[in-house]
Formats: sequence, C-alpha cells, structure tokens
Amino acid sequence: MLEIVDHAWEGRTSTGRADELFQQHRKEIYEDTDRLFGRFMAIQWVGGILFALIVSPHTWVGQTSHIHLHVWAAIFVGGAISAFPIWMTRVWPGAVATRHAVATAQMLMSALLICLTGGRIETHFHVFGSLVILSFYRDWKVFIPATLVIALDHFLRGIYWPLSVYGVLTASPWRSVEHGAWVVFENVFLVMSCLRSIREMRFIANRTAALETSERNSRQTFEEAPIGMAVIGLDDRFRQVNTAFCKMIGYSEEELLSRSPVDLTYPDDRAETRRIAAAMLESNAHCSAEKRFVCKNGEVLWAMRTGCLIRDGAGNPRHFLIMVEDITQRKKAAAALQEAKEEADRANNAKSEFLSRMSHELRTPLNAIIGFGQLLDRQNPTGQQRGHLRHIIAGGRHLLDLINEVLDISRIESGRLQLSLEPVCVSEAVQEAFDLMRPAAVERAIDLSVQPCPELHCYVLADKQRFKQVALNLLTNAVKYTPIGGEVTISYDVSNGGRLRLLVSDTGVGIPAEKLSRLFTPFDRLGAEQSEVQGTGLGLAVCRRLMEAMGGSIGVESIPGQGSRFWIELPRSAPAFGGMVLRSVGRFRAPDANNGKRSILYIEDNRSNVMLVEEILADQAEMELIVAFNGESGLALARQHTPDLILLDLHLPDLSGPEVLTELKSDEIMRRIPVVVVSADATTRQIERLKAAGAHSYLTKPLDVEKFLRAIEEAATPSEETKECVAA
Amino acid sequence: MNFHRRNVFVTFCFGVTWVVAVAVGWRFVLNYDSAAGAVGTVPQKWPAHSAIHRASDRMTLVMLAHPRCPCTRATMGELARIMASAQGKVNAYVLFFRPKNSKPDWDNTDLRRSAAAIPGVTAISDVEGVEAHLFGAETSGHTLLFGRDGSLLFSGGITDSRGHAGGNKGESAIVALVNNQRPALNRTMVFGCRIADQMKTMKDAICSK
Repeated sequence: MLEIVDHAWEGRTSTGRADELFQQHRKEIYEDTDRLFGRFMAIQWVGGILFALIVSPHTWVGQTSHIHLHVWAAIFVGGAISAFPIWMTRVWPGAVATRHAVATAQMLMSALLICLTGGRIETHFHVFGSLVILSFYRDWKVFIPATLVIALDHFLRGIYWPLSVYGVLTASPWRSVEHGAWVVFENVFLVMSCLRSIREMRFIANRTAALETSERNSRQTFEEAPIGMAVIGLDDRFRQVNTAFCKMIGYSEEELLSRSPVDLTYPDDRAETRRIAAAMLESNAHCSAEKRFVCKNGEVLWAMRTGCLIRDGAGNPRHFLIMVEDITQRKKAAAALQEAKEEADRANNAKSEFLSRMSHELRTPLNAIIGFGQLLDRQNPTGQQRGHLRHIIAGGRHLLDLINEVLDISRIESGRLQLSLEPVCVSEAVQEAFDLMRPAAVERAIDLSVQPCPELHCYVLADKQRFKQVALNLLTNAVKYTPIGGEVTISYDVSNGGRLRLLVSDTGVGIPAEKLSRLFTPFDRLGAEQSEVQGTGLGLAVCRRLMEAMGGSIGVESIPGQGSRFWIELPRSAPAFGGMVLRSVGRFRAPDANNGKRSILYIEDNRSNVMLVEEILADQAEMELIVAFNGESGLALARQHTPDLILLDLHLPDLSGPEVLTELKSDEIMRRIPVVVVSADATTRQIERLKAAGAHSYLTKPLDVEKFLRAIEEAATPSEETKECVAA
Repeated sequence: MNFHRRNVFVTFCFGVTWVVAVAVGWRFVLNYDSAAGAVGTVPQKWPAHSAIHRASDRMTLVMLAHPRCPCTRATMGELARIMASAQGKVNAYVLFFRPKNSKPDWDNTDLRRSAAAIPGVTAISDVEGVEAHLFGAETSGHTLLFGRDGSLLFSGGITDSRGHAGGNKGESAIVALVNNQRPALNRTMVFGCRIADQMKTMKDAICSK
C-alpha cells in the first residue's frame, strides 16, 4: 500500500513538474522571440532608413537638394513604430502585451513599406513574412492583433488612399477582403503549426519530467546505496562516486573525482586490478574480486569489488560501474576464526593424544586390578572379603567404562572413529538391548517393555554396534534414573520426515527444562553426582556424537515429576540385500559434512574386490570409500551422498551394471557424477556401449593399481561444468 | 511593487504616445505622397523659341524632368509603356534640367540613361531649365503631347502620385490620343521634384532678354 501511495505521489509530482517545464519552456520561447524581434525591428528600422537613403535620398529643386521625405518617414515614422515594441521587449520580455505590441508594430512596418513603395505588390510579401516570424512565438493569439491591424490598414487605405496600398487610384472594397482572406489563409496554417508545436512542447515536457524522475531515482539509488558505488571512466578516472564509497575510503567526492582508482589500490593489487579492467573491456562479463584499497588515513581496506562495463546503445564501451563492499571485518573475523580453529584443533589433538596415552596407561593396571580381583573372587574368599572384592571389581569396571567412553569421545572429536554403516534391523537391535537390560530392570523392579512396531522389520542405515550402544545407553539411563517400581518403555516408529524414530520413555523424576540444554555436555550429570546413581556423565555426550556421525539426531522431552522421553532418529534403509557398508578410509567424516575430501562409491557384490579396493585406497587420506553390495543400495547411497566418483561393477545381484548406469544418468543431480566401470568383461563392443551410455571410463579386471589410481584421480577431479553446477 | 507600477504607468504612457506618433506620421506620409507639384503657364501651341525640333508628320511628346528626382523613375516606366503603345507614331524628347555652370555629366544619371534607352526617346539636357520654362513645366515628370500642327493635346503627369508606378489617367489619355482616340481628360496633376528654382530661372530669363 505504501508503495502504491509513493507511486501516486510521484505521479502527481511528475505532472506538476511537466507543467512547470512546459511553462518554463514557453516563457523561454516568448522571451527569446521578444529579444529576436527587439533586434529584428531595430535592424528593420535601420534597414528601412538605408533603403530610403539609397532609393530616394533627396528631393530636388533645380540644383538644390533636400533630404527626401521618405528618408524622414523611414527615420521618424519607422522609428515611432519600432521604438515602443523594442522598449517593451527590453522592459517586459515574455509578457503578453509585449508580443501583441510587437505583432501590431510589425504589421505597421509592413503597411509603411507598402505605402512608401506606392503599393508595390512585391512589398505585400512583407506581411506574410512577418506573420511567419510572429509564429516563432508559438502563440496563435499574436495573429489576432496582427491580422486586425493589416486588415484595418488595407480596408481604410483601400477606401481613402488606394494608391498607397494597391498602387491604383480606385480599388474595390473586395480587394481589401481578398487581401485579408490571404492573410487569414496563411494564419490558418500558422495557427495549426503553433498548436502542434505546443502539443510537442507538452510532450517533451512530460518526457523530460519522466526522465528527470527516473534520473533522480537512479541518482538517489546510487547515492543512498548502502554499499560503495562508483563510475569509472575509460580514462581510469572516477566520474561519479556515492556517499557510502566516500565514507568507506575516507576521501571526499571532490578528492576522489580528481584521482584514479589505481592510486587508491594497494600496490600489490594494482596489476590484478588492471588485468580485470582489461578483461571486462574484452568481454561483457561481470567481475567480482577481492582487493585492497588504501584509505586516506593510510589504513588498508579489504573490499569485495564487483564491476561491469557499461556500453552505449551502439555497443561502444562508456564506463565501468563498480560496487564495493567493505569486507575488512569479515576478513579479520575469518582470519581470527581460522587461527582459533587451528589453535582449537591443536589443543584437541593434544587432548586426544593425551587421553589415548592415558587410557593405555590406565588400562594396563586396570587389567591387573579387575583380573586379579576376579581370580581372588574364585578362590573362596570370606564373606567380608567377597564384599571387598566386588567393590574392587565394580570400581575397576566403572573406571574401565569411563575410560572407554572418554576414548569414544576422543576418537569422535579427533575423527578417528570408524563406523560401518549398513542396514540395521531395528527390531533385532532393540531386542538385543532389551535382553541385556532386562536383568537390571528386574533387579530394580522396573517394568521394562517393548512396544511392537507396525512395521516389524524396518531398517536404518547405521553402524550396528554403535546403534545398539546408543539404544543400550538410553535404556541404561532410563533404568538407572527411574525409581524402583517405575516403567520404562522402548518403542519405535516412522517419524513425519520418513526417518525412523526410536523412543525410550520412563516414569523417572524428569529433568527441569533449564537443564535440558546441558544434558549432552560431557561430564555434566546435572547434579546426579550427588546421588547414589553411578555414572560418568559421558554416555549421552557419546550418544549424541555417534548419532550425528551416523547422520541421525537425538533429543529429549521431559516433564519433571512425570518422566522423560529420549528419542533418536536415523535415515531408513532398504533391507540388507547382499550387504552394504560405508567405510571411512583414513579419517572419519560425517556423511553429509563437506570436509574437502573426495568420496568414492563402489558398487560391487564381490567382497574380495571390495577389500582389494579398500586396501588400494587405504593410503589415500583424501579419499573416502562408500561401498554398496547391490544396485539398489548403490543408487540409494548415490542419492544420499552424491559422491565425487562412482566405481561400478557390471554383474550385480539385483540390477545389472548398465541399468544402474542408465538410472544414474537419468537423474538430474547424479548424472553429473563420473562413473568408472570396473569389470572383467573387456570386449570392445561392451566398452563402447557403456561409454555411449555415459560411463566416464572403463577399467578391466584384474586391476592395474597404478592405472586404477590414475583413472580415479582423473575422473574424481571436478570438471569446470561440475564446478559451475555445484556453485549454482 | 512600486517599480512594477511605475513600469506599467510608463508603458501605458509610452503606448499612448506611440499610437499618436504613428498616426500623425502616417497621415503626414500619406499627405506628402498625394501632394501634387506646381504647374506653370503651359503654352497651347508649340513654343516658337524652343530649340527642340517638332516633327510635322507625327505627334511630339515632350517630358521635362529633373535628372535626380527619385519620383521620376516611376514616370520613366510609364513613358516606356506609352512609347511601346505608340508604335513609332510619336517623337519623344525628355529634357533633363542642368544648371548652367555645372559639370557636363551633372545630368548624366541613371534616370537619363534609362530614358535614353527607351526606343524613340531622345534625352536632351535643358541647361538652366530654359525649355522647361518655355513649356510651362515646373515639376519633374511634366509631360506634354503636341499634335502634328503643334497644338497642345495633353499636359500633366503620367503617375497618379509620387513615385507610384502603374496604370494612371495621364498615361491612358496619351495612349488614347496617339491612337487617335478621344481621351477621358487632357490635364492631370504632376507629382515629383521641382525642376528648377522658379525665382532664379525667371530672373535669368529676364536678364537674358
């Protein structure tokens, strides 16, 4: 609505401005024409005197001569006629009375000329010429006094002095009518011309007003743009700069307009700036680049400069338009962030290294403590001794759990955790965890139950061991923190997002809302350390990291006094069909994270071949291998991970290799992934057929390792087109 | 504001003055153009003392003119038309006034040359306007037409006002007479400069007697 109001206001302003321009233009025309007539009448007067002096300078009486009366008439009568309008054009330029006085006087001059030449018909053309000159006013009203004066003159002189106007002694009154009619005839066209001129003037005024509005808007947009903008001429000089740019660079507009952009460019960036300008001149491409300016106070300003070349209607270069954004703070923040990250990485690595060594050093004595404790327990100790031994063994195991969990955290954070993602049957994993926890639940008289899922055998893509670890951890917590006689329920179902949601509900004490955010913080037990419930405070932290590592999520809803509901979600998977494994070769990364590594999907049903490729790539730290043992799984993994390269075997248990290739190439996203066929079928026809179907290259078994690595390197290197698609 | 009102007042006064001045000047010009010149005593017969040869087999036309009178240019144009109509039935003389002690080319003006260029017209200098006096002509452009017997057939101007070319009564009368027709009139007014100073010419004439 505001926009509509703005436009309406702008429209009114534009109309008002158009009227103003029109009146101004008209006034200029009136004044200009007045000045023209002021000069013209003076020249005409002088010209009349000179003409009289040449044609009839003297009148004679014998040998005595006198100035001819025509000369005096030219001087005095011509002067009398001309003086007043000339004076008017000086004193009242542009006034209505002035142009009417001019029109009257000009017709009187015509009449005088006709009179002095004795009604020569040729001098009547002075009337028509004068009317044409009067049309310079573009005011048809000036023809009214002009026509009246000349008509009256002809009419009166036609009656009383016909000789002075028609050159004959007697003239019919109709002759005056005829002369008047010719004047009216000319006036008709001159009036039409004036009206047309006025229409054109109004059109020009409207267009000029519209252009002014457009120009003002453009200028305002330029001036008030929140980023620096500048127009640079082809002579490498600033032509126009906006306020933001001036503020950014510290120079005033006047100072900038007398400088070249190169003068303000950081010396090391000048060559690049010139190169970019030359490149823009050669092509129509826009160009964005980071560069440094030197501000007036000497500080270096980092800027993102986006420029383009503006051409005229004929396609000739006119100037450059550049937009400059100050990214100094961003640059500083990025540098600080990078430094902090490196520092954090160093600290984290040091911590992990420390933990790793400490765990080794701790495990060794713990092995002796727990082992010998168990041995002593088997050697019939007394009741008191048995109690002491159980404390020793329980303490040792607690310490061992603590060390294991700390190591898990450490491995995850250092990226050394190895996960094997595969379709995991949720009901089986839940049942195993349930079976493990049942004794503890019975011991505490807790009603532990599993709610059956409508979809009995649903699968998730996860590391089976770690999935069970997470489920068991949640169940352990639920059993531990639920009072005796409480209930713990484990259930799972498909969530709204199509993922599998596993839910562990208890009737425990619940967790206050303000503490929920600390729940997954390592070693933070939310005050439980004051209770008798034993724990390390690392279980949930490990669960969260494991879930994130497997591409899932974890959360909790809790009502104090009523209980808590912990849930995990994982992507669903097709049932295991020949097996499907995601292995992290070298350092682990989360599947969706982009850590700069190149991922390779190997679709192969033969485990020996998979192991061989794993071994080959084991030394390639920058490569990650994802393995699928059948075609469907391969397609699913390709959609999920969008790997950089796909290695495809042709003989798969469900789909054939060519079918998988066709499916990959028909997908808008996957079709850009290069596919290298790895097969023992080395016939030329097969190779050509698959290459025609979109295969990037073809490797035959048995594999030549060097050749294999070269092929992978070549195919996995993103092409320009792929880069553009990724950027888009 | 005062300046503006004063300007309006001045403009109004100037405008009124302008209208009056133009009207008066206009009236003066019109009066001058239609004011006829003086005519002397015109002889009814060819003057006996005239040095001009009168033809006895045809009519003789005599025009007295001032060689420098601008108004007489229109008269020469009318004479050319008369001579064209006469078709050799008239001998024509144009006598141009020349002061006694003036240079020989004083009367050798474009007017005389244009007169001499008209077929059948003889341009002659009239020293001190003696011939003009004999023919009773005082205003430049005065034209007289004499018959074969020397009788005066027409006297007057052949333009209707000063310097105004075009058809006129004098020209029509002469053309009619040359063609043996009855003219509408045989006297017209003459418009032009005075040929000679009347007082001086008369004095000289008396002295010469």
